[in-house]
Amino acid sequence: MIEIRDVSVSFGGVRALTNLTVNLADPVVGIIGPNGAGKTTLLNVFSGFVTPGWGSICAFDTDLLAMRPHQRARWGLRRSFQTEQVVDDLSVADNVRAMLDSLPVTSRSERERQIEKALTYVHLEGKADELGSALNTYERRMVELAKTLVGSPKIVLLDEPGAGLRDEEVDALRQTILGINEQFGAMTLLIDHDVEMIAATCISTVVLDFGELLAFGPTAEILKDDRVKAAYLGIEEAE
Amino acid sequence: MLLSVAALILIVPSLLDALYLRVFISSVIFTIAATGTAVLYARLGLVSLAQVALVGVGGWVTLRMWHATGLPFEVNMLAGAIISGVVGMLIGLPALRMRGLFLALITLMGAAGFQILVTGTQFPNGGDGVLGIAVTSIFMPRPLLGESDEAMLRYVCVVAVLCFLLVEFNRRTRPGRAWALIRKSEACAMASGVNVAFYKAWGFALAGFIAGIAGALLAGTLGVLDATTFPASESILLFALTVVGGAYHWLGLVLTGLLFRAAPAVLNDIGVNGHLAYVIFGAGLLHALITAPTGIAGQILDGLTQLAKRRAGR
Repeated sequence: MIEIRDVSVSFGGVRALTNLTVNLADPVVGIIGPNGAGKTTLLNVFSGFVTPGWGSICAFDTDLLAMRPHQRARWGLRRSFQTEQVVDDLSVADNVRAMLDSLPVTSRSERERQIEKALTYVHLEGKADELGSALNTYERRMVELAKTLVGSPKIVLLDEPGAGLRDEEVDALRQTILGINEQFGAMTLLIDHDVEMIAATCISTVVLDFGELLAFGPTAEILKDDRVKAAYLGIEEAE
Repeated sequence: MLLSVAALILIVPSLLDALYLRVFISSVIFTIAATGTAVLYARLGLVSLAQVALVGVGGWVTLRMWHATGLPFEVNMLAGAIISGVVGMLIGLPALRMRGLFLALITLMGAAGFQILVTGTQFPNGGDGVLGIAVTSIFMPRPLLGESDEAMLRYVCVVAVLCFLLVEFNRRTRPGRAWALIRKSEACAMASGVNVAFYKAWGFALAGFIAGIAGALLAGTLGVLDATTFPASESILLFALTVVGGAYHWLGLVLTGLLFRAAPAVLNDIGVNGHLAYVIFGAGLLHALITAPTGIAGQILDGLTQLAKRRAGR
């Protein structure tokens, strides 16, 4: 359960988020909206890279905004970025291990077990020893995903994980995202421009427009909403 | 690999004459110093222009320790390295907030500050008080295992290998993985729970520690040190040559040491003004910046890999 209360962010004179209030409870929640709607800003508020001028975020009874970014990671907040951040000169396993290094997982065998579980889950178990530079776009995205799944995650934030992937790869990604809650117990917030992806994975969806909450509810209903179509889908059709 | 290096360390020193023994000792010492510069540059993407000043700090502490206590060289060396590591970390503190040009400028100010201090006070040479300056210098003796020049060259080579291994150990474990994330992007490192400030400071401390070792070896070789060895400009030159040689591989750092100390000596030896080396360095730097981001070592290693592939293809 994530309670977002009155969150407002402005950069100079531009309001990136205005009084955003919404309660998120489903295992996978989508965040959609046109470019500049404030989606990534919202993730940055979660991560702690942007401090809101106003408001609070309470996640599983913890005040998220009171913690510094690396403390939030230790608490259980995970994030992938729009541009993937796989390090070329570390092996796949080391890329994931780098994530676990800073997390409160005590025993070495537990670390190795979690790395193996995450890599197996994203079907990269055979590539654990390959260097990051040897991976293709899809595999890099999957390493990013594996990084978010180790160390008992509570919330996984995915910022356009499907960018640059082919259709069949997006299908595989979809299946992977759908299983996160059951396999790892984390709640997922997913930003994506691909409406089919959102429709197939997200139980409920937040629609942002110009930094304001345009709509929130079950994904199927939301995508039929006329205001949402006008603000978001309509623009895409016009393109 | 290690065996062939060991063989080189055993054989080469006995083939050199007195002049080149000294030149190579000094080259290896600055290879060690460059190893520290490379930790920051190759692992963290940070530019530090204070490395030669930190070599001076290590040398100062080593001499001060010996004149005050008379303990064995290795103990004094360790003390020099630790203090130099702490000073390196202090100079690197602004790196928690800055990078690129401004960080480079701040570290350069640190180097200039050291230059001014040490020109005013000089290095301890057996006198009284904290500064320990005497009119006639008392020379610190060589380490027991390095009493002749030949033995000293082997000694510095072994220490250089130990320093490479120390850096390699760091690279392959937790600090190395944290550095890799920080280099990729600080936001990504923070989102991964990495304590960015701590691991940056750790990088600076390690670079300073290694510089301190180099300074101790320099003091151990010569017995006394002179302030004119450590101007801020030498730190800039060492950084530039680290880029030219190649910061990503130990071979590049060996080349850096040779360029820094052996190239001017070779030019002098064949009757050309040693300052001509600066022209060569300038050309080398342009070459590295334009065509070889991994330095001469990177080019050599790429060449060897391709050669091996071609052979395998036949």
